[in-house]
Amino acid sequence: MFYPESIARLIESFRKLPGVGPKTAQRLAFFVLTLPREEVVSMARALVDAKDKTRYCRECGSFSDGELCLICRDQRRDRSLLCVVQDPRDILAMERMREYKGLYHVLGGAISPIDGVGPEQLRIRELLQRLQKGRVKEVILATNPTVEGEATALYLARVIKPLGIRVTRLAHGLPMGGDLEYADEVTLSRALEGRREL
Amino acid sequence: MKELRSQAIVLRTMPLGEADKLVTMLTREAGKVKAVARGSRKTKSKFSALVEPLTLGSFLLHAGKTFYTFIQGELLKSYTGLQHDLERFVHAQYFCEICDRCLPEGEPAEAVFHLLLTALETLEVDPHPARVARCFELNLLEELGLKPALDACRICGKSGGPFRFDPLEGGLVCAECPRPASSFPVSAASLAVMKRLLAYGFQKLSVCLLSPQSQSEIHQVCLGLFQHIFDVRSLRSLQFLKAGKPS
Repeated sequence: MFYPESIARLIESFRKLPGVGPKTAQRLAFFVLTLPREEVVSMARALVDAKDKTRYCRECGSFSDGELCLICRDQRRDRSLLCVVQDPRDILAMERMREYKGLYHVLGGAISPIDGVGPEQLRIRELLQRLQKGRVKEVILATNPTVEGEATALYLARVIKPLGIRVTRLAHGLPMGGDLEYADEVTLSRALEGRREL
Repeated sequence: MKELRSQAIVLRTMPLGEADKLVTMLTREAGKVKAVARGSRKTKSKFSALVEPLTLGSFLLHAGKTFYTFIQGELLKSYTGLQHDLERFVHAQYFCEICDRCLPEGEPAEAVFHLLLTALETLEVDPHPARVARCFELNLLEELGLKPALDACRICGKSGGPFRFDPLEGGLVCAECPRPASSFPVSAASLAVMKRLLAYGFQKLSVCLLSPQSQSEIHQVCLGLFQHIFDVRSLRSLQFLKAGKPS
């Protein structure tokens, strides 16, 4: 190795990040060396703090820095609406829309027997416990539009409907700004199925 | 530029990098191949629906150093009916996982391609998914050169039962021959069903009735033979099937 040990270690650490190869790791390490000391310390603290303080929300299973996450703590949220997502990052996508005012529930994945993930490995029991409290009037299934996501949504619909709660699924269709010509057959057929009167 | 143009069934996918997928599929021309579908996790990707598991498509792939890359594709059939029923979905994934584990990469396996295609199509409509699974397992073993010998004792050649099945012998052992430790009893009814499933494949499956005992014995025979190729205990979808009928 041509670098002092401290720099070599930093490069090695950056290489552990997803999508970062040796060249990028090297560039990032040298960039860190050009930063003022206080910024480097603040960056290192942020990393350690995120690791130490982040935990899962007791209610929805999303990332949180306390017992409950910001969304579950917010009393202005509509507690009769519950949106079920696969991953905490899906909450960020939904929140970017700024239209949904209900609560969330994170499943932690989708049913995929080939990957060893079944209903027992997901937070379905916790979801049913939440629903049995009786405040939720509608569950919106927002699992990914993939084979596994669809199977999970159908499974959830089957176990939730007997509780007398309305179950809805996010619509499938054409993305905004796209050309109809380039749409695939499955998306087009789903868009046709879900067409609505104007 | 080396290209592969073929029909293929998507067996499984894995997330790769930021928005790509590594897709394992069974092609008609080149057997099992792995291909990268760039950007396919983005909602506007033209490959999104094409590279979903349990999809039959016609693809144009470019051969890279390690994996193929998707260039074009056309969707021929999406087995959406299998997603609507968890039991069928688990069976379909079980078929795909066995194919993935049994077949080496890049070796043509056209007969297995057609077998899987027929199995998925039958699974969509047949009221008994377990029956489809037994038929698929037995016929896949035949394609892999591991067809069980079901006519006579492998040791003495005697054709009358009762018999036990020994996976190490690849066939039957009669009551008069020394009993191998790896063998287990198999009923005459199960032997008759296995012969029928091997002779007719999926053609006469709708009139083939399997008792729970035969289901279990045939499954044990098949798993014993698959054990020659890979560790069946590591089949993840099998754990779900063993856990019982998904509710």
